[in-house]
Amino acid sequence: MKQFWKTGEPYVLATGGTLAIILVMTITLVGVVLSNGLGYFWPRELIKLELKDGSAALGQIVQHEKDPHLGGKRIQLKVGNRDLSGQDFRWIDESDIVRKSVPNDAMLLERREHGNYFGFLKAVTAEGIPLNVTAPLDALEQVRKIVEGKQTETENRKKEMSNLNVDVERLRLKLLKLEYGGREKNASEIAELTSLREKKLADFSKLNEKITADQAEIAKITAQFSDITGAVKDIAVIDIIAAQSPNSMSLFAKSAAYLERIRELLLDDPRESNTEGGLFPAIFGTVMMVLLMSLFSLPFGVIAAIYLREYARDGLMTRIVRIAVNNLAGVPSIVYGVFGLGFFVYGIGGSIDSLFFPERLPTPTFGTGGILWSSLTLALLTVPVVIVATEESLASIPKGVREGSLALGATKFQTLMRILLPMATPGIMTGLILSMARAAGEVAPLMIVGVVKLAPTLPFDLDFPFFHAERKFMHLGFHIYDVGFQSPNVEAAKPMVYVTTMLLLFIVIVASSTAIYLRNRMRARYTTSTF
Amino acid sequence: MKKNLTDTSRRNDRLAEAVIRIGGALVIVSVVWILVMISQVALPLFFPASAKMVASVKLDSSVAAKKIVALGVEDSGKAAFTLDENGSFSFIKINDASILATEKAPNIPAGANRIVSAESRGNSVYSLLWDNGSISSVKVELASAKDSAGEYSFTHEVVSEPELSFSAASGVKQSFARPIEGKGSVRVNLLADDRLQVQHQLIEKDLLGNDKRSDSTALITDPLPGKLSALTLDSKGHYLYAGTENGMLLRWDISEPDGVNLLDTVQASDRRHAITSLTLALGDVSIAVGDANGRFSSWFPVKVAGSGEDKRLTRIHTLRPNAGAVKNIIASPRDKTVFSTDSKTIYADHLTSERALLTIKPAEVVRQIALSPQGTTLLALGDGGKLMLWKLHIPHPEISFSTLLGKVWYEGYDKPEYAWQSSAANDDFEPKLSLVPLVFGTIKATMFAMLFAVPLALLAALYTSQFMSPKLKGRVKPVVEIMAAIPSVVIGFLAGLWLAPLIDKYILTLFLALLIVPVPLLITIFFWKQIKPASALYKIMRGNEFIAMVPVIIAGVWLAFVAGALLEPTLFAGDFKQWLYSILGIRYDQRNSIIIAIALGFAVIPIIFTIAEDAISNVPKNLTAASLALGASRWQTAWRVALPSALPGVFSAVMIGFGRAIGETMIVLMATGNTPIMSLSLFNGLRSLSANIAVEIPEAPLNSSLYRTLFLSALLLFVFTFIINTVAESLRQKFRKKYGRY
Repeated sequence: MKQFWKTGEPYVLATGGTLAIILVMTITLVGVVLSNGLGYFWPRELIKLELKDGSAALGQIVQHEKDPHLGGKRIQLKVGNRDLSGQDFRWIDESDIVRKSVPNDAMLLERREHGNYFGFLKAVTAEGIPLNVTAPLDALEQVRKIVEGKQTETENRKKEMSNLNVDVERLRLKLLKLEYGGREKNASEIAELTSLREKKLADFSKLNEKITADQAEIAKITAQFSDITGAVKDIAVIDIIAAQSPNSMSLFAKSAAYLERIRELLLDDPRESNTEGGLFPAIFGTVMMVLLMSLFSLPFGVIAAIYLREYARDGLMTRIVRIAVNNLAGVPSIVYGVFGLGFFVYGIGGSIDSLFFPERLPTPTFGTGGILWSSLTLALLTVPVVIVATEESLASIPKGVREGSLALGATKFQTLMRILLPMATPGIMTGLILSMARAAGEVAPLMIVGVVKLAPTLPFDLDFPFFHAERKFMHLGFHIYDVGFQSPNVEAAKPMVYVTTMLLLFIVIVASSTAIYLRNRMRARYTTSTF
Repeated sequence: MKKNLTDTSRRNDRLAEAVIRIGGALVIVSVVWILVMISQVALPLFFPASAKMVASVKLDSSVAAKKIVALGVEDSGKAAFTLDENGSFSFIKINDASILATEKAPNIPAGANRIVSAESRGNSVYSLLWDNGSISSVKVELASAKDSAGEYSFTHEVVSEPELSFSAASGVKQSFARPIEGKGSVRVNLLADDRLQVQHQLIEKDLLGNDKRSDSTALITDPLPGKLSALTLDSKGHYLYAGTENGMLLRWDISEPDGVNLLDTVQASDRRHAITSLTLALGDVSIAVGDANGRFSSWFPVKVAGSGEDKRLTRIHTLRPNAGAVKNIIASPRDKTVFSTDSKTIYADHLTSERALLTIKPAEVVRQIALSPQGTTLLALGDGGKLMLWKLHIPHPEISFSTLLGKVWYEGYDKPEYAWQSSAANDDFEPKLSLVPLVFGTIKATMFAMLFAVPLALLAALYTSQFMSPKLKGRVKPVVEIMAAIPSVVIGFLAGLWLAPLIDKYILTLFLALLIVPVPLLITIFFWKQIKPASALYKIMRGNEFIAMVPVIIAGVWLAFVAGALLEPTLFAGDFKQWLYSILGIRYDQRNSIIIAIALGFAVIPIIFTIAEDAISNVPKNLTAASLALGASRWQTAWRVALPSALPGVFSAVMIGFGRAIGETMIVLMATGNTPIMSLSLFNGLRSLSANIAVEIPEAPLNSSLYRTLFLSALLLFVFTFIINTVAESLRQKFRKKYGRY
């Protein structure tokens, strides 16, 4: 045995163990995110628990655990009905449970506010609407369809109002500019625009009144529900986003509901201070920012890499540039955020404001965080990634290719543009993808230069000038931080955070894997060429 | 045509070369620009204060003839007012010393002819003591407005404050009057025979809602150690301070109408010089004491050892001495800056940072000084009737190298401490900006993380480069690279919301795991020995050992859970955390340094692993082959040949990981409690420099001390990571050159 130890084989196993620890940690991380995230979509059954003291509870089982104080097992039940009972979750000792059952008619409602509702449908009140079905469940379906139809009218009116709003805002800014230029000078124009603005405001409020009246009408259509304790609640049908009976759904229906929830997550707007609803603005904001950032970092990074590889002579200058690239890579991301705040936001943004938008001051236009400054800050942060990847790909092109091209009479620039860059494209793509993956996950600098919890508008929409560089935007990584740590009710919001994390992790892992695959293929291609 | 083509291509080539060279230089420019830009915001913290004299005019003779008892100036520095002993206010335009208007003080008490003294209570409110002993109170409102042509116009008004008026009394040498919030007013008189008298005028509402007045007068009977030379009262009428001619400082609590308590008697001047001037600084806690020799210090009550909960007046800061006896001290209305004068020079000092801010030598001997309501302008009246005006620029008086890096005795604290507390609810709060707790937190988090990450990463890198089969290596390395790509916000979220509650519940299991996990490992080693070389199992396992280790590790962790579940109820009475607290006195915070060590370590492991593995793999194969050929086992080769040769690369890997850990923001933000405490305990939270910036900067007012201090900490981070990265990279380059790689 002693001999065995002397050879050192046990230490080999021990080092193998450390690698195993690292891999187990990684797999645990991904596993925790997946298991908590994927389960979010599946419609879980509603369990009815009858307790020893005669009361009953209805809800979804969240977790089992051993009670740390009393030793027995207990269940955490999501009981919903936050507006009725004040709490979302309840801990119930297993010893208190008399009977567990799965009532077929228990319903789960996703509502516009106050979270989910678990209960039983009693009746549907719809005055003036002819219903040709008697069962409450079918009546509910039909009424929901009718309400949805009415909503399209309201949606159209809202779109009109939104356009009017944009026009009114534009007129206000124009008026500000004219007044700044001199009230007496532009008096006639000011009067004209003011009256136009008043007219549009009047139209706006007329539409608003109509919508309010319509909504009041629709709100009269209610459905009566009773929860497990028997308390009756009238819920307006318009507040119901989705109604399901999970206990009586077939596997097919549950799969359809699963896909529907995924669609809602990716395409809908968030509700209830980001703890419910979809992630569309966050996804859109992240994608827009990453694209804009690549627009800045790609040229800069490729040019710097070409300089390092092709044009620089080995000497002090190259060494200094390499040190600079290394430092750009190593500087903490918060320092970039601070620099972006001081230089881009207050420095350049402040100057743009005083030069081009002085009439709007002290309300800043560009002198505050926005998608443009965020993209520039992150471009600076991810430039080293592009530089390193491009340099690697240029280095792997055999020298003979360059020499051959020069020998045939091409200039250095022609060689570069027509031969080297096309050959280096996979490497540049790798760098681009890696930088995009990095930017999707960087939150610290963005917190300071332009990301917000909830952005009312997207940075890219159909109003001229279509791309609004000064608007703030939402970001997936910041969404995780905000919902997980700055929500009023973190426990109820946790599933949402897991789902967002899963989405972000998915994007980053797919991007990184693609980049690694491309890089390996590129290496394989060039290591065998002999020239 | 051919020549044109060649010319165009040559021109394009030269153009491209210029653009590309500029692009390369732009990288250097970016780094330098970041440094310059951040310094530009951070360094003004240390710029000295300045006072610019903007006017020096002779007072109009009609005003200068009479004795002037009070002086005031308006913030823009364009207008001032004087009050003479007959009770007339004169409003003066500074630039030509012309008199704008004269107003008599309103509500002069009957029988009063002459003002004995005027006490400024701040905010341009004055209590006037008349010759018959009565007191009246006035507020002066002087404002200026600039119209579009740049001309100034002034509005002025003198308003009487009737609540604070006292009727005549005889034999009063000096008097102070204060309103008591909601209850009435209090008056302290220094009588002609040098006794102190406290007079309360209280208005209470009785049960029917009528006002009931009750007046009470009390003499202070405590024996005084010497003749009184200075007196002051705080703005609430609660504490009375007196200084004597033999340098003693006394403090009374006069808030109760029926009992006056002597709280402190301390020797303020150790050379027994007379106390010549007493003034309370903003917030009414610190008192600035000046004596006849020019010595200048600040005091406030502090809990001292042996006196229990009682607070004793203690000397806190000793400021630079005035050249002559301190004639007058005024407190700034904005912060803890005080202006003192010995008639020949005006000194401005900050109490907490003990910084000497300004030293102004006016042309004439100074009789009186006054500050504008916002503290931006200083007015002095000279003996020869000259009015001198200075515009003050004191941007960051509370910041100096010693306040940022050393212990500071803040107001209300019992001893000098390192503290970071940037804001609180009240107005006269003093921001405590010390970088030491933050630097301590950063180093603590980084050290614990490196302690966790470095052994794991280095040993795993050694295994991967030396013992692993190439096929498996090609599969494992991408997994680690993906681990490197996981965003830090995801790691931080899981650490804060999943790992922290988990470890909170199973802390005993964690400690047991350190002991228990090696057990299955040892068992596996024993069984490993039994595998005969040249058997099929041996051939499969060699190079793939780590696959067998994964279930071993999982088994070890599971065993630790089981052991924890068994041991906790029996050995620790069911609650390990409670046991820790009651037996060892350790408090357990849910988000503590264990969590941050694991989370930050997890983020740093892939970086160290990749670079170290790269370095160890680049050791020339002939070295390792020679070692093996000479009969060394593969472990002996790896440990004694490969690893030492790769040491520079390994070292640079650790340094780069260190640099990353220092700057990491999101993980530290989410996995610690963000409390800026300095404690070496494993079970406490911390706040790091980077997390501090992320938390504080959205709320920091532009260009304030807090804003600039945050930029200073960003500068510190930048410089530190610059040094680490440059050293690490140069080591790596040297190593590469040594072994002849590209």
